[in-house]
Amino acid sequence: MAGSNEVNLNESKRVVPLNTWVLISNFKLAYNLLRRSDGTFNRELSEFLERKVPANTIPVDGVFSFDHVDRGTGLLNRVYQMAPKNHAQWGIVDLERPLSSTEIVPVIIFFHGGSFTHSSANSAIYDTFCRRLVNTCKAAVVSVDYRRSPEHRYPCAYDDGWAALKWVKSRTWLQSGKDSKVYVYLAGDSSGGNIAHHVAVRAAEAQVEVLGNILLHPMFGGQMRTATEIRLDGKYFVTIQDRDWYWRAFLPEGEDRDHPACNPFGPRDKGIVGLKFPKSLVVVAGLDLMQDWQLAYVDGLKNSGQEVKLIFLKEATIGFYFLPNNEHFYCLMEEISNFVNPDC
Amino acid sequence: MEPYGNSGCVSSSASSSSSSSITKPPEMDNHLAEAGYKVRSSDLRHVAQRLEHLENVMVNSPNDLSQFASDAVLYNPADLASWVDSLLSASDFSTQLPISIPSDLDYPDAIMDQTAPPNDAWTDHHSAAAPPQHHHHQITAFTAMEEDSGIRLVQLLVTCAESVQRGDLALAGSLIENMQALLTRVNTGCGIGKVAGCFIDALSRRVFTPQSVGSAAGSAHENELLYHYFYEACPYLKFAHFTANQAILEAFQGHDCVHVIDFNLMHGLQWPALIQALALRPGGPPLLRLTGIGPPSPDGRDSLREIGLRLADLARSVNVRFAFRGVAASRLEDVKPWMLQVSPKEAVAVNSIMQLHRLLGSDSNRSAPMEMMLGWIRNLNPKIVTVVEQEADHNKAGFLERFTEALYYYSNMFDSLDACAALQPDKALAEMYIQREICNVVCCEGSARVERHEPLAKWRTRLGQAGFRPLHLGSNAFKQASMLLTLFSAEGYRVEENEGCLTLGWHSRPLIAASAWQVMPSPEATATATATATNNPLGIINRNANHV
Repeated sequence: MAGSNEVNLNESKRVVPLNTWVLISNFKLAYNLLRRSDGTFNRELSEFLERKVPANTIPVDGVFSFDHVDRGTGLLNRVYQMAPKNHAQWGIVDLERPLSSTEIVPVIIFFHGGSFTHSSANSAIYDTFCRRLVNTCKAAVVSVDYRRSPEHRYPCAYDDGWAALKWVKSRTWLQSGKDSKVYVYLAGDSSGGNIAHHVAVRAAEAQVEVLGNILLHPMFGGQMRTATEIRLDGKYFVTIQDRDWYWRAFLPEGEDRDHPACNPFGPRDKGIVGLKFPKSLVVVAGLDLMQDWQLAYVDGLKNSGQEVKLIFLKEATIGFYFLPNNEHFYCLMEEISNFVNPDC
Repeated sequence: MEPYGNSGCVSSSASSSSSSSITKPPEMDNHLAEAGYKVRSSDLRHVAQRLEHLENVMVNSPNDLSQFASDAVLYNPADLASWVDSLLSASDFSTQLPISIPSDLDYPDAIMDQTAPPNDAWTDHHSAAAPPQHHHHQITAFTAMEEDSGIRLVQLLVTCAESVQRGDLALAGSLIENMQALLTRVNTGCGIGKVAGCFIDALSRRVFTPQSVGSAAGSAHENELLYHYFYEACPYLKFAHFTANQAILEAFQGHDCVHVIDFNLMHGLQWPALIQALALRPGGPPLLRLTGIGPPSPDGRDSLREIGLRLADLARSVNVRFAFRGVAASRLEDVKPWMLQVSPKEAVAVNSIMQLHRLLGSDSNRSAPMEMMLGWIRNLNPKIVTVVEQEADHNKAGFLERFTEALYYYSNMFDSLDACAALQPDKALAEMYIQREICNVVCCEGSARVERHEPLAKWRTRLGQAGFRPLHLGSNAFKQASMLLTLFSAEGYRVEENEGCLTLGWHSRPLIAASAWQVMPSPEATATATATATNNPLGIINRNANHV
């Protein structure tokens, strides 16, 4: 780690509220315990430590949720929707009627973060975040429980994401608007953002319509070390060493970080010029040591003639959106809401 | 100067606009609660300091940190303060007293080498035969039409339940006929067809033949048989036994005279593993007494005693001094403490696998039989009380609510059974066990309805009010329960930690919850307390060799 440990702790303490510091430091320390130097992962302890919450068909603060398991893939999706206006319908899951036959209700397919290794759709932090998305964006959210590394490497997570997209597109009860279609957006934080990109590529190639991508400090990287990586190494909860570990766990064995999964628009990627790729909203945290790769991604989109909006939050660390106790959080929610409700 | 940034305008202890379904005392940090962690706002700074300290320790640790993790037994990860502290004390090797339970290696052997006593009462455990994928394809022959019929069935079921609640039995009856017709168009061998079939059957009994409902319960002997098939076909009961045994073993450490009270002996399936584990205990096994409660045998046999004899044979074969006593009672509330003959010198474990809920009445807030029972359990001064219950809310007053809850719960349970490689007819018999439960939940009322399942949260409150406090099941128990799953079942089952309790469920739906409790020391020791004659404060290991 660059710099002494004490310096690093002091840095991160200055820029986030106390409870955020406790939360993210706790994750950091727990994750340090789980990663083994031989590349294996203590999955049992990880599952023990993970704070999970059940779905709830009874609305809480205007949002209810239920889990669906696809019998073919065994993939679990947690669906979040706005509470029905009619109280008598609370607790009943309607799988026939569309979300609306007049208005457009966006459906956001959300891929949780965790560097491809941690967390699940039913993790408390992500359940809470998805509920907030529903309320802020007046959308339905489908959170995908994709298979994780190191047990399931590339391309499992992308395959699961693609399966989820097809599933969502084919649900009549997720349709809305006068022309009865499913208005899909892909979203994700960290590794989830990476998955959202790659699923969007697959969708564009298969001409399946995705209306937009929302990437929250997406997890990208490359073989070389960038200046920011070296400068911020270990300062704000994240180290180069742990990033390397997660890429080794996700990418096929023997591969390096210029693999196109890790480095889209890098030397080995075939690019997306000419594809009908969705518009993108990319959010970069100014204190994220991997920001250069995210900025390179934004450039890559622009150079491919794709529409992209960059939100650079200078003072934000990773995970700023877990607790609604900072201005970055509110800025983010507003941007996402505007992105998926363009006519409002 | 504030060492911690306040880059937002909302302070951490301000009441959050988005409260969640988690209820918590007011001084907890709201935002961390929504992330699944319980930290008092006033403790935040202290916890932060401890985290920093822990990080420094970890950075300076010579070993691979993952080794550090396996050495520490972690209890409640939601309680950040204690979690950090337990890691810090684990890192201090000089003062560490490991909780000496048999190592991981011993456990699988103990289960798999379960020797059958002479008259072969125990079936061997067989590991899952067919690979799960194969099984999956067989049951995913789901046409679009079938899926629609499935949805339609669920809607009809809910509508029917609603009309039953309203008392409109004529409508309910005709809906049942509709559903029975629709059933012919779906696959009732698995999936929604199977579940719907069970519930339609139950509703039909309730509406058309209410007088026959009592007899659907079947004889005690039949129930025991079906229970055994249910035990074999899926991991729920194995998980229950395994987790409870682990906790009991830990509680019995250092005690030479131990007494287990089993609220429902059945075939005593839980106990061979405990006997074997005690046999392998460092320092040698204690004297083990087992008191098994069960229904009286109608045909003059003393089935409890027969099971006791078999267990005694097993104990003898592994050199564990063992004594058995059977207590025959038709209802749990008929059992009185004097029947159990608890001695003040022994460490007592009370074990209840899916029994406590039977004591609940319709008004679960005031339940005299439950209060009485918890009272005398407490007076036994047990070292540990292990409780396993269905993780479901099937005791709601309103019929419709209860019905829809049960529909969801048992759908998950049937799905999970489908994924296991149980062969016919065993699987059908296991399903019959479940069907009887469903019937009781749906058809019965009043004292006939014994399957009054309540969720963990309610049990926590109830046991807390009765003077018990939770004994957190640690990361070891979790790890071993997870290992058990990989040995015995299929993909899709999940063991989860829930504030010191463990649940086993299907995908993200917990279906069964295991917890452990100890008596809260009360300042006003009751005069009627029988077993508190000794002055043995809780938690202190009894090093006196007390031989009975």
